[in-house]
Amino acid sequence: MNNSIIRISIWVYLAIFFIYLLGPLVIMSITAFNSPSFPRATPWECLTFEWFSALFQDERILNGIKNSILVGIGTIILSVSMGLAGALMLTQIWPKLRATYYTIIIAPILIPGVVLGISTLVFWDRINRMLGLGADSFLSNGLFLTIIGQSTFIASYCMLVLVARLQRYDLALTEAALDLGATHAQAFRKILLPFMRPALASAAVLAFLASFENYNTTTFTFGEYPTLTIELAQKVRYGITPAISALAFMIVVLTVFAALFNEANIKRKEVIAKARKEGATVGDVTSGVKLPGFFTGNAAAITLVVFAVATIAVIGTATVYSPKQCIANVQEQKRLETQKRIQELRDQRKRDAEAAGQAGGATGAAKPSNNSGFGGVFAPGTLQGGDQGTAPADDAGSSNNSGFGGVFAPNNINGADN
Amino acid sequence: MSAGVGVDLENLWIRFGDFVAVRDANVHIKGGDFFSFLGPSGCGKTTILRAVSGFLEPSEGNVLIGGNNMKGIGPNKRPTALIFQNLALFPLMKVWENISFSMEIAGASAKERRKRADELLDMIALSDQGDKLPSELSGGQRQRVAIARALCAEPDVLLLDEPLSALDLKLRQHMRTELREIQKRVGITFIYITHDQGEALTMSDDIAVMRAGVIDQIGDGKTIYNDPATAFAASFVGENNVFRGKVLEVNGNEALIRTNRSGDLRSRISTANLGKLAVGDDAMMFIRPEALDLAPTGTKGENFVTAQVTHEEFEGNTFNIFMEGDGGKEIKVAIPNHGQSFDDHTGQAMTLEYEVDNAVAVPAGELAAE
Amino acid sequence: MPSFLKDFFNRNGTLMGSLMLGLVLFWTVGLIILPQLSMLDFSFRPNLPPPEIGGPKDVYTLENYKYLVFGPEGGSQDYNAVDLKVFFRTLVAAVCVTIFNLILCYPIAYYLGQTKGNHIRILALMLIIPYWINEILRAFALRIIFGESGVLNTILVGSGIFDTPFDFIRNDIALYAGLGYAYILLMIFPIYNVIESLDHNQIEAARDLGAPWWRIHKRVVIPYAKPGISSGCTMVFMLSAGALAAPQILGGPSSLWFTQLIYQQFNDNSDWPQGAAYAVVLLVTCILLVLAVMRLFKVNMGDIGK
Repeated sequence: MNNSIIRISIWVYLAIFFIYLLGPLVIMSITAFNSPSFPRATPWECLTFEWFSALFQDERILNGIKNSILVGIGTIILSVSMGLAGALMLTQIWPKLRATYYTIIIAPILIPGVVLGISTLVFWDRINRMLGLGADSFLSNGLFLTIIGQSTFIASYCMLVLVARLQRYDLALTEAALDLGATHAQAFRKILLPFMRPALASAAVLAFLASFENYNTTTFTFGEYPTLTIELAQKVRYGITPAISALAFMIVVLTVFAALFNEANIKRKEVIAKARKEGATVGDVTSGVKLPGFFTGNAAAITLVVFAVATIAVIGTATVYSPKQCIANVQEQKRLETQKRIQELRDQRKRDAEAAGQAGGATGAAKPSNNSGFGGVFAPGTLQGGDQGTAPADDAGSSNNSGFGGVFAPNNINGADN
Repeated sequence: MSAGVGVDLENLWIRFGDFVAVRDANVHIKGGDFFSFLGPSGCGKTTILRAVSGFLEPSEGNVLIGGNNMKGIGPNKRPTALIFQNLALFPLMKVWENISFSMEIAGASAKERRKRADELLDMIALSDQGDKLPSELSGGQRQRVAIARALCAEPDVLLLDEPLSALDLKLRQHMRTELREIQKRVGITFIYITHDQGEALTMSDDIAVMRAGVIDQIGDGKTIYNDPATAFAASFVGENNVFRGKVLEVNGNEALIRTNRSGDLRSRISTANLGKLAVGDDAMMFIRPEALDLAPTGTKGENFVTAQVTHEEFEGNTFNIFMEGDGGKEIKVAIPNHGQSFDDHTGQAMTLEYEVDNAVAVPAGELAAE
Repeated sequence: MPSFLKDFFNRNGTLMGSLMLGLVLFWTVGLIILPQLSMLDFSFRPNLPPPEIGGPKDVYTLENYKYLVFGPEGGSQDYNAVDLKVFFRTLVAAVCVTIFNLILCYPIAYYLGQTKGNHIRILALMLIIPYWINEILRAFALRIIFGESGVLNTILVGSGIFDTPFDFIRNDIALYAGLGYAYILLMIFPIYNVIESLDHNQIEAARDLGAPWWRIHKRVVIPYAKPGISSGCTMVFMLSAGALAAPQILGGPSSLWFTQLIYQQFNDNSDWPQGAAYAVVLLVTCILLVLAVMRLFKVNMGDIGK
């Protein structure tokens, strides 16, 4: 009895938590398919794919993607190699220096990104001046600075990933290779690197994702190479459109794809490893591998395929679907509604004027009967008496789509003074 | 087949900071020998091996392989191959790739490598296992792959760092024979590190007994067992009963020793200490359990010991009698079992007898920890 | 050559050793230490046009720090009330976000860490996926939800709970929700890692001895998970105090985040030394605060980042 209450409350908590976590992404994805030009999920108007085509026609977004990939590749190379060197060093550094060294290489994770961006900018600017190079030298180039700035902390993440794997590495393997005649470089390439490969792959993916989504550091260093995140931030700050939702939706889809693919792959490897183990005891390995196919007992793989089919279906629909008729209908409806509302407003204004005339300065009479936008609560005019009541009502009553509603309209505040 | 390449250690010192791991080691290993370093863990034997293979640079002294000084030559340039304690097989490579790794480094084609690997697999009786991963083999199989991998490099000297320690008893005994056979077949020098005296005795031509960085004695198995040079060697190799005392008189190669608890006993002086053990010196006398025999109760003499029986046990091939001994140590007597009847003597005083030649006296010194 | 360097090159080979040492030095000295020192140095200098840098006017000064406390010289107020208020508000809000996140994430981390089963993998995947998506887009998603005509207001007004839409953005609710949202994973993961290694038998034993659930957490789980909790809190605090994207997108127009002031100094006022001084103040304050709290709860630096 008591137990089941606890169980239920755990599930309720989990549900709320994941709604908080995933809900925003789902709603954002929905807005990518809704026709209003302000991203909104409700009210649903028309299914449309136009925001996707708008996205692909946006030069700045495309350029941002290109820059992000450039920066990402540079960051992967630099931070994975620094992370690997840092991790190797950690395993053999003089014990007395170890704690200090660890603090130094872990610190960039905790230093605010803004600070990293500034220090990178200031430092390389100074180096540039010391070397007597001009403002257009590669040291003050946005690409270089961004890669350097991001790698400062991304290398720490890579180091953490790599050190976890390195701890399971048996140094005797390197020694065995050396003993068998390999040079240090050969031992590194043929023994250590293959061993580290899974961790290196994780570190590279992590580095790319961290680089791709970085804003705080990049915003100080990007120069003439705005990354996708920078472009997005500009767009989001100065007016948002569902095209951004469309981009987000595609990233969500890609992410889910990648996650499922990864999951399916892990499952497949487990199955193969198991088969090999069993096969080894029976003495027949090769036939053991073939038997379990990609799908046997692999829920992730099945989901992956279903997901892929769904995606293809959606893209297929998108190419033939046209929302023109629907949009036209909605616009017609809106036009009618607006007319109706204007008519209502006119009527009301008439009535208000009459009431004002009758009641004189009586308070409260002018309380506007609107319930959209920012209602009477925030409109300062309402408390001041009847004569200004109509001005904010006009603003708020019109079907204004701005996220901030009438509150920011300066005349609200000015209105009180008049 | 050549006589093999010898290895010499000349005044070898190895220090780690203030700690001396190897103290002035001088060893001559003949080409083609199976040579063991025997000692408890931490005695510096692995350090010596690492100095020979080139992973450690000696602090002083030289390592010579085939007469050539190895100073400044890295492990990858030395004519040695090392078999690691944990074998260090490359986990991501197939068995045949593991075996032929040294050829891969030398730039041999895959076909050549495979051919050579198959030959070696035949030799270690793992012909059809070449395409497995090391993790899919059993302990003994892995062991043999490690040997094949080292042999593939065609080293002049094979170094083995306790390679059998991870195996169970049966397999260990089997691998001893096999190792010895392989060594005879390939005819190269083997240097073997172990803390197991059974391994050292059964396989080696010569053994060096090590204690705390110092080589106590070098000799063949029989010499080490029968004629130990130090108290440590006597107590570490095989079981031994120790009697502490002072030298009462020395006659030629024999000494009379006044023991602390068992009266005056006569003993042979070990060869290495002839002329060194003088009257009045603290000495230790060792008698093997199997060298003691029951004697009529009450017999007295310079080769008779009387003591109280604390307990007895039956081990199958022997009856073991444990008696009150000297300084907290027990005296153990092993009577071979050939079907005779055997009474329980617990609590009784018994007299034991030994041949003077089977007792050996050395200067008092550190004993091996049990 | 010192002996440890010789050992190092012996062990790694000359080529690999130099490469490794070079990369590590470049990272630690060239990317971490020198830029921070350079920023510190820069923050003590006046804002000069490029030709005058290094000239006679380029002297050390406390001007930039004074500005944060006292405002512009000859200003009307005794203190730089605007910037100071933003500074303290940022710190307090970051602390609140951290506490909120801890309360929110601890049960989840505990559940994930102590439950076995296939669904745990799926939940973990669902946790991670949002973090593969751009920080800006995450903030953007919340803005859609919290906007005046957003989903939340539609629901609240539609269901009659509120008669008029509530301005979540102006009241900073969107900002706090966004900051909390942004760093959930960084709170869950360290705690999860520690709790996962807690032997379930310990909890069983405590339960066996009749301890109520809250006491089990207080006496067994939380003391054990302390390194993870402090690691998570440190990261969330540092990152939310240093956040820039979420305040820019989700913050109300009148409520600034301290990082936004730094951003303005750099991008709008082109006063780099001033911005650097602000950055130094932010960094030093955050580090001191974290160290103080770590001292208070007796946690080591080495536990961070595990």
